[in-house]
Amino acid sequence: MLNSYLTIMRREITYMWRDKGLRYILLLVTLLSLFLFWGTYSAQLLKDIPTAVVDLDRSNASREITDKLKTAENLKITARPGSFAELKELIKQGEVVTGVVIPEDYAKDTALGRHTRIYTVIDGSNFIYATNASTAVLSVTRTVSAEVGIQQLTGSGMQYQQAQEAYRGIQIQQEPWFNPTLNYAFFLVLGWVLNVWQQCCTLASCMIIAGETGMCSWLQIKAAGFSRLKLFTSKSVVHVITFMLLILPVYIIANWVFKIPFNDHFWLLTLFTLVFTISLHSIGALASSVARNSLDATRYGMIIALPSFVLSGYTWPLEAMPQALQVFAKVIPQTWFFQGVNYITFKNPGWEFISHYFIVLAALAAVFYTLAAAITAYRY
Amino acid sequence: MEPVITVENLVQSAGKKTILNRVSFEVYRGESLGIFGTGDTGKTSLMHILAGVDKFKSGSVEVLGFNIKKTEKFKRKLGLVTQAPSLFNDLKVSENLDFIAVLKGVKKDRIPGIINQFELENYLDRPVKKLDSGVYQRLSTACALLNEPEILIADEPLRSTDIYSTRIIITELKKFIAEGGTCLWSFKSPEFFDLADRIAWLDEGQVNMLTPWRAREKWTSQVQDIYNSSGENNAQ
Repeated sequence: MLNSYLTIMRREITYMWRDKGLRYILLLVTLLSLFLFWGTYSAQLLKDIPTAVVDLDRSNASREITDKLKTAENLKITARPGSFAELKELIKQGEVVTGVVIPEDYAKDTALGRHTRIYTVIDGSNFIYATNASTAVLSVTRTVSAEVGIQQLTGSGMQYQQAQEAYRGIQIQQEPWFNPTLNYAFFLVLGWVLNVWQQCCTLASCMIIAGETGMCSWLQIKAAGFSRLKLFTSKSVVHVITFMLLILPVYIIANWVFKIPFNDHFWLLTLFTLVFTISLHSIGALASSVARNSLDATRYGMIIALPSFVLSGYTWPLEAMPQALQVFAKVIPQTWFFQGVNYITFKNPGWEFISHYFIVLAALAAVFYTLAAAITAYRY
Repeated sequence: MEPVITVENLVQSAGKKTILNRVSFEVYRGESLGIFGTGDTGKTSLMHILAGVDKFKSGSVEVLGFNIKKTEKFKRKLGLVTQAPSLFNDLKVSENLDFIAVLKGVKKDRIPGIINQFELENYLDRPVKKLDSGVYQRLSTACALLNEPEILIADEPLRSTDIYSTRIIITELKKFIAEGGTCLWSFKSPEFFDLADRIAWLDEGQVNMLTPWRAREKWTSQVQDIYNSSGENNAQ
């Protein structure tokens, strides 16, 4: 009994190992993607955003603003165009990401207490750059605006101390939790790597039934009257173990070498990943059970795997999606996994909270495996 | 004589085409039944149904007393050699024997004997996909006989085999029948008529049971007709 399970498992390992393409994809792609994505986000924060200043006033007051922009942490003044048209051209060519235009008569207007406007433009074609640039420029312009306001109040006879207090009246304190430095690498590297991994695993899972029944050797299995349940269970065990063996080194390197925080939940994350792997495999098995052949199975795998990361709500909130998409996203194991990973690695959610994610993944696996078994029994 | 296979009103179709049309026949224990048909006459469909690997549209089939629609128990006593190369391509010869032995629930001590019978000793480490067709068919037949079946169903086992392999396979088939086995084997060439006790001649979805002598006569007559209709009267 056990011998037959072990023999099927051994054959599955032999198949995977002798298929060079599959072997390299499984062994290398996930691990390489970790290094690739870590390299990509190794800066962790966006600094030195190329900035242009158009100083149309050329006064001491306008030079003060330029000096403040110079000292801003994330900005780097790389150009000083003479006109707005020149600035526009620089942004178009991608030479700068943001531009600050100080109008003519800026010094005069502020001295006379008149309304004046500092114009900032941001290249919105790259939203990550745009968001960072916007935050950095805003913090400088807010400071300048406050200083001008204080100057005007003191100009109208108020004591400097009083004027300063007036501007400090409401103190808005920002404190990002769970990722205090708003580190991109912490947020994105693991997400992207897990996305690559789940795609490889989904494609491999989709071959579990169609890959077997699509071959002439399926006749041998049918003629022998060998239990389909035993066959596919043994193959599934090999798949799940293989998928876990692919992701474990990634977790170890990500956590111990690249210091991506797991919130001291390495083992919880590993257990959660195991439950997800089973669930992921079940949806692959279901797709495989309805596929007419291996090519179809691969297509179904791609249809499931490719959009699942975007639909998971990891990079764009699930709640901001149309209702129908939200429902669809919730029957995909990837949605629960990516959200669960986010909670485990950042938020220390506690067992009571995260256990719901375990239960949903296990329930999805039970449903998908049952459907796959019923369809396979009917078809073969 | 005791029938080991009973087929009644068997109907099989593929799309709109009827492949087997209300076919009925019996096969007896210890018999060598040749299934003959030229071209796509439904030999493979019939054999796959009898081996329980294909479903059929209607009718009833009993193998060794089991209704094959209801159980797979008969498969333990059955061996199948398929026409299409159905061994496990990514495994070596020895691995195929080991693996199929497990599928059939056969103890591994049966394997050395079968390797010897089919003279496969020199090929054990070769990947199956690199075997020539003669050795491949020897291995296929060996795998089918691993479980010491009562019935062997062989779909064109001598198709494109070399003389040496043909001799080995025929010897082993004769030995299997002599030891009480029942063999159903299909072929396209009339040269094998005499190796069968009876011939099931498949034509237009019907089975016609003939003696080998009568089958040869029918073949000769058909060939004669073909030559006559083409205007050449030089058939043998």
